[in-house]
Amino acid sequence: MDVGQPSATPLAVVAPRRARFRGLLPWLFLAPLLVPLALFVYWPLLHTFFLSFVRWNLQPGVPMEFVGLANYDGVLASTLFADAAWNSLIYVLAAIPLKVLLPLPVAVFIWSLGTAGGWYRTVLFLPTLISFVIVAVVVGWMLNPIAGHVAALLANVGGGFGNPLASPDGAIVTIILLSGWKVFGFNVLLYLAGLASIRRDLIEAMRLDGASDWTILRRLIWPLLTPTTFFVLIATVIFSLQQVFTPIDILTEGGPENGTTNFFYMVYQLAFRTFDIGRGAAGTVLLFGLLLVITLIKLRALDKRVHYQQ
Amino acid sequence: MAPAPIAFGRPWRVTGHILCLALCLSVVAPLVLVLGTAFKPANEIYDLTPWPQRPTLANFARLLNETDFVLYLWNSLATTFLRVAGQLAIAVLAAYAFARWRFTGSTFVFALTLGAMMIPHQLVMIPIYIMIAELEWFDTWAALIIPNLAMPFAVFLLRQHMMSFPKELLDAAEMDGAGPLTALWRVMLPNLGPAVAALTIVLSIDCWNEYFWPLLVTDTPGARTVQIGIRQFLEENFEDFGALMAGVTVASVPVLAVFFVLQRRIMETFVASGLKG
Repeated sequence: MDVGQPSATPLAVVAPRRARFRGLLPWLFLAPLLVPLALFVYWPLLHTFFLSFVRWNLQPGVPMEFVGLANYDGVLASTLFADAAWNSLIYVLAAIPLKVLLPLPVAVFIWSLGTAGGWYRTVLFLPTLISFVIVAVVVGWMLNPIAGHVAALLANVGGGFGNPLASPDGAIVTIILLSGWKVFGFNVLLYLAGLASIRRDLIEAMRLDGASDWTILRRLIWPLLTPTTFFVLIATVIFSLQQVFTPIDILTEGGPENGTTNFFYMVYQLAFRTFDIGRGAAGTVLLFGLLLVITLIKLRALDKRVHYQQ
Repeated sequence: MAPAPIAFGRPWRVTGHILCLALCLSVVAPLVLVLGTAFKPANEIYDLTPWPQRPTLANFARLLNETDFVLYLWNSLATTFLRVAGQLAIAVLAAYAFARWRFTGSTFVFALTLGAMMIPHQLVMIPIYIMIAELEWFDTWAALIIPNLAMPFAVFLLRQHMMSFPKELLDAAEMDGAGPLTALWRVMLPNLGPAVAALTIVLSIDCWNEYFWPLLVTDTPGARTVQIGIRQFLEENFEDFGALMAGVTVASVPVLAVFFVLQRRIMETFVASGLKG
């Protein structure tokens, strides 16, 4: 190295400085990620928590007023909350047969076709690419009593009821069905990914032992798919609460009579329709708690119960 | 896909095909109806035949000339491009740091990154809304882009790919005098081409299709994105279904076209992005 040169800085000093720079290096690479994460995710979470204890209507001139737990009382006692809770439950329960159970046999069948199943897979995947805005707008158009195709077809076969979006029950069923249409192919794809990871030699071994295809399905494939199924279930539960925000906002804005609102839409209504920031924040904190519980259940279950070693 | 691992009996195969065909029909039928209506002249809009007898471009002309749709397209295109470029740059750097170095706090910071994947926009909307009001950023591209620059899922996915890259090659490059940025740019990235391409498309589709965020931070026509524009069009010109379906077509065709170029990879990346939930 510097042998022979009169060095002002001995190596012993240079080396730690280099080491310090190397220690800093990862943080330089991470800073562009961490700054926006802090500013736009973690700080707003904390700030929401703080705002849930004040009364404020978003007016810059109006001071915030500390009200303790009053916002939580207000939210929990409101009919909006009761309706949102009930509807959230309906959205999730309806999602299970439509989005979790039915895609499974469809995926197994497509998988059993081998290469030829690619077409089904691709076509069923298309709704994932189309925005929820467009799905909602098209459904709104088709159900429209003036020009709607569905409305006209129903009138032709004698089912002369009006726009289903006008009644609470009809509206929530519409949103459930269109969100099922949107996510079905994606869940099929998730199951196919799970099926693709099953080792072929296990199937061959069972077949050599004389097992029928149905036995293989029941005793080998179904158990090995449990983690995937569980994953699809959790993803769908969150999806069914969060993603329906868009069709709700476009088709019904939570109505009629709170018939389609859910937790995610409720916090938006509180904060940006009634401009009650305190209650909006309180609702958000409650929603955060719910999502946290779902996530913890997922992490626990993924750790312990539903995993098999192939 | 690999060859068939299991063979169902004939009745089950027939049932399966019928079910799958019915499902595919339910996907394709609305698309045909939308596309057909977009090309229908005004006097055929209410016909039950899904395709036009005398196809016309009048709906597209009305959409582009009489509304601000071109402006919406420009806003969507520009913000998608800028936002995805930023998301990729940030994610590549961060993923490299996580994949390449073990350092004090790396586990904790990685956990924070993963944790952010589970926090949807609705949980942070109120403080960000206040922030944007104070910055006077409403109806600007900055409001659409900057709060969404950190994309934890992209970091996660790129890190997975980078971890399977042989460290020796990076060590060798640095031994030859390359700095860490050069090693990342010249050695690592050229080998991640397909993964980065698929990720780019998934992020772009995600941004192009987004509804909630632009709903929150834009209000005036000049700042609207395509998705907000379509929703607005439904409210304002309720009876012009031909132009509405033309708008729906213009907003969806780019996404579907891009998808068919890189189909396989994109579906894999979508599956990976689903793993974030």
